[in-house]
Amino acid sequence: MQFFKMKSKGLALALTGLCILVPISMGQQETPAKSSDKNDKGRKIQKVNVVAERFNFTPSKIKVQQGTLLEITLTSDDTFHGFRIPSMQVNQLIPARGRGSVKVLFDAKERGSFAFECSRPCGAGHTMMRGVITVE
Amino acid sequence: MSTGVGRGSLWAWLVLIVALLQPGLLQAEISEERLSALEARLSRLERNLELLLQKASSASPLDPQAVKEVKDAAQPLAGDLQQLQTANVPQVEPTALPVQQSALVAASPSTPVTDAAAEIQNVPYAGYMETHVNHDGLNPTTFDFHRFVLLFGHGFGDRIRFWSELEFEHAFVEGREVSGEVALEQAYLDFLIHPKLNFRAGMLLSPVGIINERHEPPSFNGVERPFVDTFIIPTTWFGSGGGFVGDLGKGFAYKAYLMTSLDSTGFSADEGFSGGRQNGFLENAQHMAPVGRLEYRGLPGLNLGTSFWTGRTGFNLRDIKGQARIFEFDGRYRKGRFDGRGQFAINRLDNAAEINRALQRQTGVNPNIARAMRGFYLEGAAHLFPTRFKHDLVAFYRYENFDTQYRMPAGFLPLKQFDRSAHILGLTYYPYPDIAFKFDYNFMRNASEVVRTPNRWNFGVGWWF
Repeated sequence: MQFFKMKSKGLALALTGLCILVPISMGQQETPAKSSDKNDKGRKIQKVNVVAERFNFTPSKIKVQQGTLLEITLTSDDTFHGFRIPSMQVNQLIPARGRGSVKVLFDAKERGSFAFECSRPCGAGHTMMRGVITVE
Repeated sequence: MSTGVGRGSLWAWLVLIVALLQPGLLQAEISEERLSALEARLSRLERNLELLLQKASSASPLDPQAVKEVKDAAQPLAGDLQQLQTANVPQVEPTALPVQQSALVAASPSTPVTDAAAEIQNVPYAGYMETHVNHDGLNPTTFDFHRFVLLFGHGFGDRIRFWSELEFEHAFVEGREVSGEVALEQAYLDFLIHPKLNFRAGMLLSPVGIINERHEPPSFNGVERPFVDTFIIPTTWFGSGGGFVGDLGKGFAYKAYLMTSLDSTGFSADEGFSGGRQNGFLENAQHMAPVGRLEYRGLPGLNLGTSFWTGRTGFNLRDIKGQARIFEFDGRYRKGRFDGRGQFAINRLDNAAEINRALQRQTGVNPNIARAMRGFYLEGAAHLFPTRFKHDLVAFYRYENFDTQYRMPAGFLPLKQFDRSAHILGLTYYPYPDIAFKFDYNFMRNASEVVRTPNRWNFGVGWWF
């Protein structure tokens, strides 16, 4: 009985480990979190991918140089979320996992910190699902 | 006549269903219309600007007034043109899925905000529900509308937030009868001070483990919550208190609260700490219990967490402190079409022997509470449908091991049937990201050679809005 129990535990651990490790090694390469480019006006564009998930944005802190255009691509890893910058008229719905993405262009004209938050209630930690864009 | 009405109703329903099924197309059309309008406006502005420039070049240099008028008229048009061009400069690449059009919003710190807009908090309500059919070999099959939960929020400006969760369990509630329950699981205020330091107070969820704070039915696999999150961590675990919440940067976040404690008179050999929750009802607050959680989410798809709780649980027993501790760590990882998660939790209870004896004197039955309980689980899941599908099907396997008699106090023997494990195989079908149809089969094992734990299957539907 004890032998069976140990064997059963070992088999279970091995199977679960396999389920986790194989996908990690086979998974697609993630899109780089950040990249920079210039548009045809010679203006610097900084691109960042932000993933929303109950109850956080990753990354939650974004730094950008003054004068840069910040292109934020928002995707969700679970349900529908919102992206709201309270100090501006920005409020976008982030589609649920597998339903595409939404892009927000942030014109970093002035220095300062600009908080963003989830604007669609998503569960127990919704009120603290926040982040900040820092224009330096 | 009646057939005509019937056909009319049928067409109306069909149109309604198609409309409901195609919100993405509607949004895409709106985006297209907006883009077309912008393009038309841009063309008009360019044409007007050209006309004005022609007029300016043909004006007599002896007529400075006319030149000034033309320049004055051209200036705002040029500004508008530049603004529109700037807004459209980055050519947004279409997303992989044509269903959801990318939206482009120009956000500039100089964009004016009205006071009213700053005050508005969108959709201050949400909810989730789950209904289950449970079957095991020993008991009759049951159909249970397990949870009907409504969440309400409100923003007092941008710095103070209210959030609440009101839950009805098992559909029917009647006083002094064995039936369902109504529980106020959350009702708190958040004071947003700084990203690293915010204050929260009210009725709080204890920040321990994966499920206690993330228990919306579509967010986890399996009809019922994991056993470890039921017996070792007494989910849903909530109580009164207050504390601090913050994002420390570099992917680290924390929660640190002082909350009301668990009550050891509710602990048991079978269900561990599950019965010890005070549930907000005239809670004993003589000794508040510290609880904290640290999370790391600095890498894509990875979320690691660890929690610690300690509190005096013997306040309903004379001269017994019953200091208890819970320590756990957990992880979740998501890569492409695969998910994995795991959790380990261990409980310790001081004075377990005295608590057992005191409860035996009160009730006549020895509860046989352990001085240590331990549980862990590992889960792997795969999304089976191609990414182009709007629906999703997830197959998962979870192994759980949970022992509520892990270490016994001197003079007490462990009840082996409560040293249990489960192999859980299941499917979750998502017709919509917030609706989950779930089925699972649980192969149950225990360490006893006399008492068996029956296998079981569960079917359920859960949704979030």
